[in-house]
Amino acid sequence: MYGDLGLKLVQHAKRTQSLPQLPPYQSDIVRSVTREVRDLDRDVTEILEPFNGHFDPAEEPATACSLLVHHLCMRRNKRCLLAYHRVRVEAIEEMCWSGSDLLEQVQASQNKVAEGGAGIGSAEGSGASSLSPEEEEYARQYGDLLAAYKGQWTDIDLTGSLEPPRDLFIDVRVLKDAGEIQTEYGAITLTKNSQFFVRQGDVERLIAQGFLQKLN
Amino acid sequence: MSYYDIDAILTDAQKVPCTFEITIPGLGYLEGNSNIDIKQGTRVELPLWLAEMLGVSQRLGTEQNVISLDLPPALAPRVQNALKANPCTVDLRSLASHYYSLGERILGLLEEDELVDILSETFKKRAAEIADHAHNPQGVISSGGEFLKGLDENERQLFKTAHESAKAIRAFLSDRSSGKK
Amino acid sequence: MNNNNHSASGPLTPAEVAFLCEAQSVTIIPRQRLDGLDLIGGYIPPFHPPQRTTIPLWLALLLKRQRRCNIVPPPWLSAPNIERILKTETENQNLFCPDLPYRWLETAELLLEGCPDDLGGDDGELRVLLRGLREVRQGKVREGLGKLEATYLQMNNLGLLEITEVRGFAKGVVDGLRKIGASTGVGLVLGWMMMISRWGWCFISMVFWTG
Repeated sequence: MYGDLGLKLVQHAKRTQSLPQLPPYQSDIVRSVTREVRDLDRDVTEILEPFNGHFDPAEEPATACSLLVHHLCMRRNKRCLLAYHRVRVEAIEEMCWSGSDLLEQVQASQNKVAEGGAGIGSAEGSGASSLSPEEEEYARQYGDLLAAYKGQWTDIDLTGSLEPPRDLFIDVRVLKDAGEIQTEYGAITLTKNSQFFVRQGDVERLIAQGFLQKLN
Repeated sequence: MSYYDIDAILTDAQKVPCTFEITIPGLGYLEGNSNIDIKQGTRVELPLWLAEMLGVSQRLGTEQNVISLDLPPALAPRVQNALKANPCTVDLRSLASHYYSLGERILGLLEEDELVDILSETFKKRAAEIADHAHNPQGVISSGGEFLKGLDENERQLFKTAHESAKAIRAFLSDRSSGKK
Repeated sequence: MNNNNHSASGPLTPAEVAFLCEAQSVTIIPRQRLDGLDLIGGYIPPFHPPQRTTIPLWLALLLKRQRRCNIVPPPWLSAPNIERILKTETENQNLFCPDLPYRWLETAELLLEGCPDDLGGDDGELRVLLRGLREVRQGKVREGLGKLEATYLQMNNLGLLEITEVRGFAKGVVDGLRKIGASTGVGLVLGWMMMISRWGWCFISMVFWTG
């Protein structure tokens, strides 16, 4: 029945909300739903054709009802499509704000594709290639926008942690080589397995990205 | 209820039994037959988003009702009686994933005054039970499994909220008092 | 999807409650001289040990950690007083004792963590009493939640951290009950549509055509 595929999309969206990563974009279902809308629209045109633009619902209540059902189905599909995409877009924005390396993953998937397209089928769960091309573009542009917005303030990190600090300085252990960072107290070279006592604000980003681990 | 709200859309997908009062051309697909008319007197289950709009005319009092609505099985008198007798033993989720939302929508369409009280009482009693389970970390695993599995979506959110806030405070307090660094 | 612990919206987290709590003033006995500090939150006058002075709790805890001061616990935070309050709470099942400050639980936690040696000797006993107090009050809160109605909930003298613990749940229940109770009102909206039904399908079709 009309609307069933749209519902399937929304059920996907519901699951997405409780997953840590974006599942693959359902391009097949999305395409089917839009096709369904086009079919319904064509039906409407066909139903109305014999009336030559002079359709009087009061005289033809049964036909009017049929038209109403068609329109309700189209509206329903539209709502499902929009809601599905919105859930995903919100997740993408959230990732941009929380600084998870969404774009790196996108890059990785592109490399995979460049290596001969072997990666496409195994995309499931890798988080990156699960974006549609439009979503990748959205993520990139949103990331740029966010960076430009953040760039206006040099001494405050808008995407920093909102968790109130208990200490200004913390002990961290380096999990992966992260190169050299600049702090107020000079440069530190972060090599794997070393430990540092640093200002939390200086390394927050690296902790979020999994380079450092906070010790307590 | 927002346009984009996933739970609202899922609520809208829940089915209501309807009877067509007039014959409508080309709607056969509603009962699974494509391209034929749907006959007067046909009974089909329609999702709320369709049934509600077609049902509006039922309350118009005009001679041409399109469809008439019935109570969905999830809200049938038998279930109502079970809820009155012992609200916490009914598996709401198997009846409808968005049980209360379904009830609310049906109440907007049909005159069922007693149902308001039954649903309110049920929700209140079950919420108290949910609070107990949520605050008792052992209870979740042992005794409460059956009950918690039968929570509808709204109740599930409630449990999650209560469980997480209790957990956060417990973590905060034990973290602090054992917090010798 | 949200894997952050922060609450950009929604109820406060315990860490945020503790952070707010650190803005309170507390009396200290400085152990070192210190020049005045001009901070965003206000001016901190110079320290002249052993003259007592009042400063924000966060600064007190920081100085305490550096052994530059001792903290004078607030008068209510003593074993005998908490014992008395615990007794009142146990004897009056329908009452939250009004003698506790709004931020009692988080203040006590911060001080027990930051300066257990300043709490008049036996901080172990104080811990036990506070835990008892928390449990008795928690029981009452749960009792109260069982009686929630769609319109209001009254629990006087509940602390901020305690409110934080139940806010999400209480809000969910009240909201759920409100929706069920209001659902007959939806009929009104449809009734309104009924009135304009003189235009019948024409109207409804038009709405969806353009909508």
